[in-house]
Amino acid sequence: MAGTKSALVLCMDVGFSMSNSAPGEEPPFELAKKVIQKFVQRQVFAENKDELALVLFGTDSTKNPLDRDGQYQNITVHRHLMIPDFELLEEIENQVHPESQQADWMDALVVCMDLLQTETKGKKFDRLNVALLTDLSTQANQDHLDVIIENLKQAGITLQFFLPFPAEDDEEGGGDSDRRGPGHPGTGKGLSREQKESLDLVKHVMLSLDEEDGLDQVYTFRDAIEQLCMFKRIERRPMAWPCQLTIGSCLSIRIVGYKAVTEERLKKMWVTVDAQSNQKEDVKRETVYCLDDDNETEVKKDDTIQGFRYGSDIVPFSKVDQDQMKYKHDGKCFAVLGFTKQNLVRRHQFMGSQVVKMFAPKDDEHAGVALSALIRALDELQMVAIVRYAYDRRSNPQVGAAFPCVKQDYECLMYVQLPFMEDLRQFTFPSLENNKKLSPSDTQLSAVDSLIDSMMLVQKDDDDADQKDIFKVHHIPNPAFQRHFQCLHHRAVNPGTPLPPMEPWLKAALERPDVISERCQAPLEEIKRKFPLIEVEKKKKLKTSAQIFGKDAEEPDAKKAKGDEEEDYNLADIAEGSVTSVGSVDPARDFRTLIKLKSLPFGEVCQQLTHRIEQLLSNKNTHYYMKSITCIQAFREQSVKLGNADLYNSYLQSLKRSIPNRRLEVFWDLLVQDAITLISKDEVEGSTVSKNEANQFLVVEEKKEEAAVPSAEDTGDVDDLLDMM
Amino acid sequence: MAEWNAYYQNEDEDEEQEEGEQSGGDYKVTGRDSLVFLVDASKEMFIKGEDGEPSNFDMTMQVVRSVYTSKIISSHRDLVALVFYGTEQSKNPRNSFKYVYVYHDLDEPGAKRVQEVDALRGEKGARLAAETMGSGETSLGDALWCCANLYSDIKLRLSHKRLMIFTCRDEPHRGDSAKDRQARTKASDLKETGVIIDLMHLMKPGGFDVAPFFRDIVSQPEDESELGLHLEPCDKLEDLQKRVRAKEQKKRAMARLNLCLGEGINVAVGIYATAVTARKPAAIRLYRETNEPVRSKTRTFHMQTGSLLLPSEIKKAQTYGKKQIVMERDEVDSIKKFQDPGLYLIGFKPMEKLKTHHHIRPAVFLYPEEGEVKGSACLFSALLMKCSERNVFALCRCVSRRNYPPRFVALVPQREEVDEGKVQFTPPGFNVIYLPYADDLRTLDPPQCPSASQIQVDKMKEIVSKLRFKYRSEAFENPVIQQHYRNLEALALDMMAPEDTEDLIMPKVDQINHRLGPLAEEFKDLVYPAGYNPESKSVAKRKTAIVGGVAEKKPKAEVPEDELRAHVQNGTLGKLTVPVLKEACKQFGVRTTGTKKQELIDALTTRLTDTV
Repeated sequence: MAGTKSALVLCMDVGFSMSNSAPGEEPPFELAKKVIQKFVQRQVFAENKDELALVLFGTDSTKNPLDRDGQYQNITVHRHLMIPDFELLEEIENQVHPESQQADWMDALVVCMDLLQTETKGKKFDRLNVALLTDLSTQANQDHLDVIIENLKQAGITLQFFLPFPAEDDEEGGGDSDRRGPGHPGTGKGLSREQKESLDLVKHVMLSLDEEDGLDQVYTFRDAIEQLCMFKRIERRPMAWPCQLTIGSCLSIRIVGYKAVTEERLKKMWVTVDAQSNQKEDVKRETVYCLDDDNETEVKKDDTIQGFRYGSDIVPFSKVDQDQMKYKHDGKCFAVLGFTKQNLVRRHQFMGSQVVKMFAPKDDEHAGVALSALIRALDELQMVAIVRYAYDRRSNPQVGAAFPCVKQDYECLMYVQLPFMEDLRQFTFPSLENNKKLSPSDTQLSAVDSLIDSMMLVQKDDDDADQKDIFKVHHIPNPAFQRHFQCLHHRAVNPGTPLPPMEPWLKAALERPDVISERCQAPLEEIKRKFPLIEVEKKKKLKTSAQIFGKDAEEPDAKKAKGDEEEDYNLADIAEGSVTSVGSVDPARDFRTLIKLKSLPFGEVCQQLTHRIEQLLSNKNTHYYMKSITCIQAFREQSVKLGNADLYNSYLQSLKRSIPNRRLEVFWDLLVQDAITLISKDEVEGSTVSKNEANQFLVVEEKKEEAAVPSAEDTGDVDDLLDMM
Repeated sequence: MAEWNAYYQNEDEDEEQEEGEQSGGDYKVTGRDSLVFLVDASKEMFIKGEDGEPSNFDMTMQVVRSVYTSKIISSHRDLVALVFYGTEQSKNPRNSFKYVYVYHDLDEPGAKRVQEVDALRGEKGARLAAETMGSGETSLGDALWCCANLYSDIKLRLSHKRLMIFTCRDEPHRGDSAKDRQARTKASDLKETGVIIDLMHLMKPGGFDVAPFFRDIVSQPEDESELGLHLEPCDKLEDLQKRVRAKEQKKRAMARLNLCLGEGINVAVGIYATAVTARKPAAIRLYRETNEPVRSKTRTFHMQTGSLLLPSEIKKAQTYGKKQIVMERDEVDSIKKFQDPGLYLIGFKPMEKLKTHHHIRPAVFLYPEEGEVKGSACLFSALLMKCSERNVFALCRCVSRRNYPPRFVALVPQREEVDEGKVQFTPPGFNVIYLPYADDLRTLDPPQCPSASQIQVDKMKEIVSKLRFKYRSEAFENPVIQQHYRNLEALALDMMAPEDTEDLIMPKVDQINHRLGPLAEEFKDLVYPAGYNPESKSVAKRKTAIVGGVAEKKPKAEVPEDELRAHVQNGTLGKLTVPVLKEACKQFGVRTTGTKKQELIDALTTRLTDTV
């Protein structure tokens, strides 16, 4: 149970017999090691307070507190009782090897018991446990058997055995292999005399500790590995919420609430760290406030006050005033407003994210009787209590329903939050049944009928009335957590390698059960035949630029250009749809992407681009000039492709006009060198500029520049540029 | 800088929201919703009902008010207008229309407008209406034309345009066919620009006949079966409110997904949130000097170098078992990805397998999207009928968005239900119930308690039956939100005090006591022994706690100034305790950022040596 703390000793046989195996089978040592690794992993990620120790026996050396006079030899306490960590996992990976000695497992057990007793002194543990992993091939010393059993009982230490073979499937017993399933290694091989004797001893010990279910704590390695592959489910200590259920002011019943169902979250969040140092201290986040003006003037946080929107009005409302005027109530409360029929509280109107179960306090049987009377009365009348629920003074009160719940071994009220008027959205949808165009025919309905038949997940067994549910969602561990821990574990143990694929068992757990898949084949085919489903071609929401400008989108040239372009860009980028406007980092690329996406009209994208160009040009720096030129190149290239020259030409002309005023001669010179001129009629039909004019556009300028700017300066600039590139 | 902002904006919330918080994102769709109330102001509207029932006009104003306030709470960005027709006075943008009075043009509703609508309510309201507007001739055509101008004057992009006509006259022009024709033309002009026209027809003696005139005015329903026109006229406020409310909100799908039954069988469905927890809206930061809103920008930068960090310069980490495990940002995303978004059918289960307590979040609603995959509605409808008939639910695996891990959901069939007025109150479709995983169920240790005897149970049954009522989900207002808005209203309108809110989820203790009468005592006698007081223990505890709390806080730690100065001079401030130092800081008005002892001492020392 959650909230309890246990101490556990993993006691593993590493003696030489553990490495023996039939051909083609994994040796017991490897299996046992896997069991231990999986177990420790789970513990590490569960992050509870459980402590672990590791004792190895059959080691070449001896290291344990009982090592005296040749007794308790070849037993090593590898790790003392402490909270497990990755260090332990690494030690198991790298330092636990098969060794060449053999040791008495009974001696090892005594070492573990001693360790538990000495190392838990002064600490409080709810459970003490020893898990022994061995193939039982050594002769065990039975001299002190009774003393050992007595000690185990007294100290309250529980035992678990993990063996390479099933305990109840030995050669004499036989017969039971049906339940355990075939294929366990060791079963076919036959056990040695020592193993048989030891197994009897194990049974004797286990049964004397627990007469009835003692043998349930004897596992095979394979079963254990299978069960341990799942990471532990997240457990939390249930918090008691004592309160009184009140009906009017005269009748109250003491109750205690516990959260019973709620969407569990991972306990840890991702922390942002610097990629180089992996230190979170190197990264700082800061929030600043600024006015919504052109300069984005920053203001100090102290110079801001709090306000709220009331429709179109913004109302300044200080925290102090807010606290004073806000809704206040008397705190903790579970007060009945009235009772109503269960069927008036609709399942789909449950709100909130939890179900709270209300019991009577443990020590108050009068409250128990009173509550029981209410629960049973509601249950018999098929009614629920509508209640006002407030967790405490600081939290907002809720309205909710308390359902009666009568189970075999307990009774309780189950509280669920219900909606407020403000939460509801009354949507109306067109009727489905009364619509002749949509209503299914009888043959269609019967196809659905047989589909449902074939896909029932709850089956009645032939012999008894019990229903068997073959897909219980609430038995599936949250796959997100499983995957999360799997990846974390992988990264911790194998840094630098890519993340592993999903575990096959997890994948399978989320799929339709095989029986169902098989059975529903034919009915599904039938559905496919009876119900034609045609995906509707999406109408483009926005007209393409070509459509807008009425240009030759159909022309083969344009198409070809499109095809060529495809390879130039990172398709992933486009698919991500991350570009929504022409940014300042790489405006030319954004521009091309946007044109390609056609999410915005061509004119608008061009405007965004020219805006960026103007921004860039306001910094008189060759680096920015260079960037501007790539923008203009992109502008020109796309304009030609789309057969729309007007926007580009008019921009370039206006740019040229503004050169002298803005002292951008140097920039213009670069433009001239790159021969970026107007788009002529020859390139785009709709252009009003002739080829000659286009050439002239720069030539005239060239002459001027030659006269105006000394050539030395020119080359200097180009050199700088080259350096930069 | 703008891009930085955009990039980092959601980074932090990522984890917080994880999933589940998918609701409320409706407003991603660009453009605003708009709603025009076109209200008949003719004399007939002001006739009071028998037994002092409110007039149609009064009823309409109440509805308009409630729409205004609910818009303010739930969707303040919607635009609303209030226009009267059949008035004596005219008031419209260019005053080009007679008998049309634009009381409110299209804008976000605010406190002032609510007040102005309030003024038109009741006896006084009728008088005010008569004074300011009066009742005159009717030209619905002009009124519609004027409304069209309201729409076209708006510079914002409108995504949903609706116009509601409130009237009790089925022949507004009394058979003037020219005016009728003009109204029809104007109505069809409006409809062509995407405006949906609804008729909220009110009761009149002799019944309201939709057919002769209004049938051609209102928009055709979304499909032939929508019962828009066969409705009975409203004669109750509640009905009218319900009708308006059903139309007033534009339904938007949170997501459009495929419901996959098997290989190649994909039914397109939309997911709708029909119940979303309404919260108090977040506060807005305002600049103290001008009360204008400020924007916040969050930046991530390197502590040492002070440079802004690119996304590629950031990684994510968690620590387990004393080891820091680091991943790339996109790896963190990829861990969450299992499948592409969609619903995948696993199988069916009988309804009784859906446990009441398997509840982890509010349900959503599923309706077919015929526009995405043709044939969806038919298969969906067949599934719905059969599931409902056989009392089974469909179990599906659901990935609601990209990079969201899967959840299992129960698709619970819901047949359409209409009331006597043929207004739909339950839409047809599947309710999607989210099911818990093993991790979501907590292990509890229920106490062993004796069960009640049948006599005790029967007594409680009497109590239960005394306090029966008919639960309606829309009956309870959230007192926290209501109070918040009343406060804002009071501040916005410079009212002396906020209007009182009635806390509807407070038990009516006196009534309950009265109804129970002696039953409570009788029950207590049956279950509690003499002298047992269920309230005693915890009450006693709380009292001592309060007393203790006060007692602890009382002795205020104050040190005389001389003594403090002496400490400063001798450098012995360290002898004082932190609470004392804090108090001293307050005393001298020293602002301290830290709470560490040394920081306090430093701050005090600087201050006191300065002034010496």
